[in-house]
Amino acid sequence: MTLGVAGGAVLLMALLVLPVGALVLRGGVDGLRQLVVDGELQRALGLTAAAATMATLVTVLLGTPLAYLLARHRMPAGSLVGALVELPLLIPHPVAGIALLLAFGRASPAGAALARVGLGIVGSPLGIGLAMLFVSAPLYVSAARESVARVDQRFEDVARTLGDSQWRAVRRVTLPLAGRGLIAAAVVMWARAVSEFGAIVILTYNPKVVSVLSYDRFTAFGLDAALPVAAVLVILAVIPLLVLRSLRAGAGPLERAP
Amino acid sequence: MIALEQLSARAGSFELRDVTVSLPAGAWGIVLGPAGAGKTTLLETIAGVRRATRGRIMLRGKDATALPPESRGVGIVYQHGYLFPHLTVGENIEYGARDAGTARAISARLGADALTGRSVSSLSGGERQLVALARALAPNPGILLLDEPFAALDPRRRARVRAELRRMQRERGTTVLHVTHDFIEAGTLGDIAMVMENGALSQVGAPEALFRKPASGSIAEFLGMENVYSGTVQRLGVGGEPEIGTLRFSGDGIELIGVGDHPGGVGHAVVRGEDVVLARQQPSPSSARNALQGRILSVAADGVLARVTLEVGATTLVAIVTQGSAQELGLAAGEMVVASIKATAVHLC
Repeated sequence: MTLGVAGGAVLLMALLVLPVGALVLRGGVDGLRQLVVDGELQRALGLTAAAATMATLVTVLLGTPLAYLLARHRMPAGSLVGALVELPLLIPHPVAGIALLLAFGRASPAGAALARVGLGIVGSPLGIGLAMLFVSAPLYVSAARESVARVDQRFEDVARTLGDSQWRAVRRVTLPLAGRGLIAAAVVMWARAVSEFGAIVILTYNPKVVSVLSYDRFTAFGLDAALPVAAVLVILAVIPLLVLRSLRAGAGPLERAP
Repeated sequence: MIALEQLSARAGSFELRDVTVSLPAGAWGIVLGPAGAGKTTLLETIAGVRRATRGRIMLRGKDATALPPESRGVGIVYQHGYLFPHLTVGENIEYGARDAGTARAISARLGADALTGRSVSSLSGGERQLVALARALAPNPGILLLDEPFAALDPRRRARVRAELRRMQRERGTTVLHVTHDFIEAGTLGDIAMVMENGALSQVGAPEALFRKPASGSIAEFLGMENVYSGTVQRLGVGGEPEIGTLRFSGDGIELIGVGDHPGGVGHAVVRGEDVVLARQQPSPSSARNALQGRILSVAADGVLARVTLEVGATTLVAIVTQGSAQELGLAAGEMVVASIKATAVHLC
């Protein structure tokens, strides 16, 4: 029994680790070298990081109040809102790109209005950010909702009896107590946004983000050309992973005892 | 003052129902009741952190039903303290205080000043309660709601904090509503006591009256009355006979004569253990209207007192006597004794 469980675990670990390990071993060194000399890779990295950061910041700004409402208030439409927020997670990403194109492309009223003020989403960094936000914001909202829900409502209640308005109590008590979870949620969202390909490639092939650049080099020049770029993406994914682990390691006594 | 008029509120599937009670300004009100009776829900509804579904909350003579918690001038202390774990003890106490000096003065009076530099996670349960109390008092609320605030304090500190809090409450004229399971606390602190059962108030009165004359059998049992019997009450002496004003109770295998204003019919007889007098033989003559012969089932020591359980007819009767009396009478299991109870000590409800 124990042997069978261990064997299953080893098999799964092999399935998860082997492809990533092979990629880093084959393309890692070359990828790090290209990071220094390859201008296109540098631009793609910069664009990816900037778009993912913008998408994450916008989501934190708009998604945190939504997460708070979903965690604290039993709204009649609460479960429907929650389901709608999570819907993009279940849509194949190229389909998400098509949906975004329909809603915000030049042919749509919203897209036409955006284009009139110089904010077209097709072939622009804005489109990349929008695609990243669409596919990864649900991860932030869900995790942020869990983080807020873990903070006992009574902390906030006590703060209000001590003279705080609701917003002030949220700012002084709930957000600091949920802070670690909110940062972790933002990091997960950022990492997911960085790795997005399917929705972005429908909206914006150029300028290229790293995932699109990796695909472009694979289709145009073959596996050897794509390997270093792909390996750089994997190596960069270690950064949010380390941040998440350090956040978990330093988790405070918040949820344990009032 | 706190005046509640048919106050109702919901907490999940639990419902607080039609609570009507008035607590004068500067009074100390005690709320008693079994777990799940709605005591905390009542405090939270008064504080405004839980919405009233019906009725009115009057605080200091003004309708506060629709006011947000921060505008009510009400402080609340929960049993678990709910200290903010991301702040130090000092920052917790200063959280709602007008100035740091006031917070420091209150900390000193309650004996929490030595804790101010510490982190919340390093505090014991009793220290947390002390800090929570200081934090709630620091903004000088006109009304203070306490939900078992002394439960985790050791007996010596509990007595000191209780006395200091009572002094501060008198100095400031604070109106206090205090949930407790400690009957001694209820008796020593309370000006008014109320009992809650199943989300509703079942009795309100002076603490001693409540303990002397519980309004129902369930309240008597909750208040720890040793002998509570269910049965029927019959009015005696109707039509000018000598027994005017007396009542006969029969039920649970026991018959008792009592006095009071029970209308007759289904009811409960309540006898405090301290009101049962034990003798080896029938005391004669005696003014006690109830003399019951019984066999001792057990004698249990309880500090300086002894709890003697008798088998009387088909039921049991508990007497509380001093250890000295128990020894003088040679009370032991299996011995026969006579239990005397005055009619005035039999409360019928």
